[in-house]
Amino acid sequence: MDQSSVLLKAKIKKIATVGAFILGALCVAFVIVFPFIWMVPSAWKGRTDIWSIPPKWFPSVWEWSNFSVLTEPDINGGSFFRSFGVTFFVGVVATALNLAINMLAAYGFARHEFWGKKIIWPLFLFTMFVPGITVQITSIQVVTKLHLINTLLVLILPTAANAYNIFFFRQFFLGIPDSLEEAAELDGAGRIQIFLRVFLPLSVTPMIITGVGCFIGHWNSYIWPTLAITERQEELRQVMQFVYMLSTSDVREYGKVIAATLITIACPLIVFSIFQKKIVAGITLSGLK
Amino acid sequence: MEKELIQFHRDADKKRKKFVYRNALWGYLFILPAMIFLVTFSFTPLFMSFVRSFQDFQGTFVGFNNFKFILQTPTFIKSIGNVLILSAAVVILQTLFSFLMAHLILKLPPKVGNAIKIAIYIPNMMSGVITSVIFNLFLRYNRGFFDSLMLHFNMDPIYFAQDGIWPFICIIVPTLWLGFGYNTILMLSGRLSIPKEYYEAAKIDGAGAFRAMMSITIPNMSNYFILMLVNLITGNLQMLEIPMFITGGGPNESTITPCMYLFQSFNDVMRDRNITIAGSFLVMIPITLLNVIAFTCIRSKRSEDS
Repeated sequence: MDQSSVLLKAKIKKIATVGAFILGALCVAFVIVFPFIWMVPSAWKGRTDIWSIPPKWFPSVWEWSNFSVLTEPDINGGSFFRSFGVTFFVGVVATALNLAINMLAAYGFARHEFWGKKIIWPLFLFTMFVPGITVQITSIQVVTKLHLINTLLVLILPTAANAYNIFFFRQFFLGIPDSLEEAAELDGAGRIQIFLRVFLPLSVTPMIITGVGCFIGHWNSYIWPTLAITERQEELRQVMQFVYMLSTSDVREYGKVIAATLITIACPLIVFSIFQKKIVAGITLSGLK
Repeated sequence: MEKELIQFHRDADKKRKKFVYRNALWGYLFILPAMIFLVTFSFTPLFMSFVRSFQDFQGTFVGFNNFKFILQTPTFIKSIGNVLILSAAVVILQTLFSFLMAHLILKLPPKVGNAIKIAIYIPNMMSGVITSVIFNLFLRYNRGFFDSLMLHFNMDPIYFAQDGIWPFICIIVPTLWLGFGYNTILMLSGRLSIPKEYYEAAKIDGAGAFRAMMSITIPNMSNYFILMLVNLITGNLQMLEIPMFITGGGPNESTITPCMYLFQSFNDVMRDRNITIAGSFLVMIPITLLNVIAFTCIRSKRSEDS
């Protein structure tokens, strides 16, 4: 056999191997996103269409009312889009507050030496190792005493300080070189100005990573709102509670449930698609700590 | 961008003294807001639950009675066994699958690999509620995607949430689906952190692929494995929403989990809340211990490395 045909064979073999790997990976990815692919046309299916035998991929009649009913108030007096709006508002406000509080605390820990720091820092960290349910069930008593229960604030304040985020920002701040601060200090900048002019502009990426996590965390929360919102549900109900209620209230209206689910997951998906590169980099970082 | 960030984090632990302000009142001021929130919404509840787990509903001190009571509640005991089985299955399968998937992605051309990474990461953004709603569409008895396929092919429909081993699978599969992308990316970054020269040296020494995996890949990724295993174990021991909404704890309480039991008994006004709180303390102890040990272990290894 001459040399060129050996090379050709090796090349074909290489292409075939890579092709097999690509095919395998595509199969895995397809299985994982299949539920979403199936849900998209199903959101327009009517009562008889959805579980028809044989199963249909596309609806026989496109039922737009599955979406329009979501704008109307349901039997409990709340509407889906109201829950959507309230949850969005809570998510945005809570994320802004979360970033402000935790970045300041991280700056405090990264650049200041003060009495008791060696005790306070581990105590802060300890809170991130405690399971949610343990804190949440007694927090109810605290928020009741503070008259926060059944208000918007109960959804925002308890998660405002987050030890994990403080830790994340502190690690990042510790890596910022001194020379930048030196220059700012020579210009006569004080502590707060140094924070605003040196640290804040450098922190855009960690802010996106933490901010997206915080927003999606609020968007997805179900247990805490269920514990803390016992009255005024029609005003304060969160989007996850609404989707859950809808899915259990009328089992025949699955087209409607799918429509509501799709609109609900669109929010984190849009956020993710904007910032996906930084979020994936953020996972890499969590392995480095 | 990614590389710069990683460099920042690598430098972070190196000793640095120059720009640290000593005895600064400012330090207290900066951490004050966070401190107020943590004291109000973390330490006060924790302290109160500690106190209340030794009291009866009228506030009299009862010693360890609440703990004794909860440990004699058959459902709670059963829930501990259930969560151990479910977690073991999820932890083992998730570690295996994500490790293999990371190696598969490594073999792909970079652009395809990135697209696959993003596709499998999408479920990670779903909540327990959404995951359950989606999987219930597939698993519902007699209706549902799978059963309508079965009926179409003239087979008996399966009651996934109730029959035989199916309830466990109905919880394990959605849980794996939810975390698969995140763990795969974590494993992938762990594998990429190992210098290529190690593998080249092994090849020269005549080591095969399996040998290279056992003596290079796995030991060098130990930090990533610890991180992933601890996250998976502590996360799954707190399993709550998926079993609650898919099987509802059934059949015969065989899929009820401790957190689900606590959540439900807390919402049940007929039950003594202090007993529930004592139960939540019992759940907290192993999880917190595991977390603290792993965190200290990873931190001290890292400072050795640098």
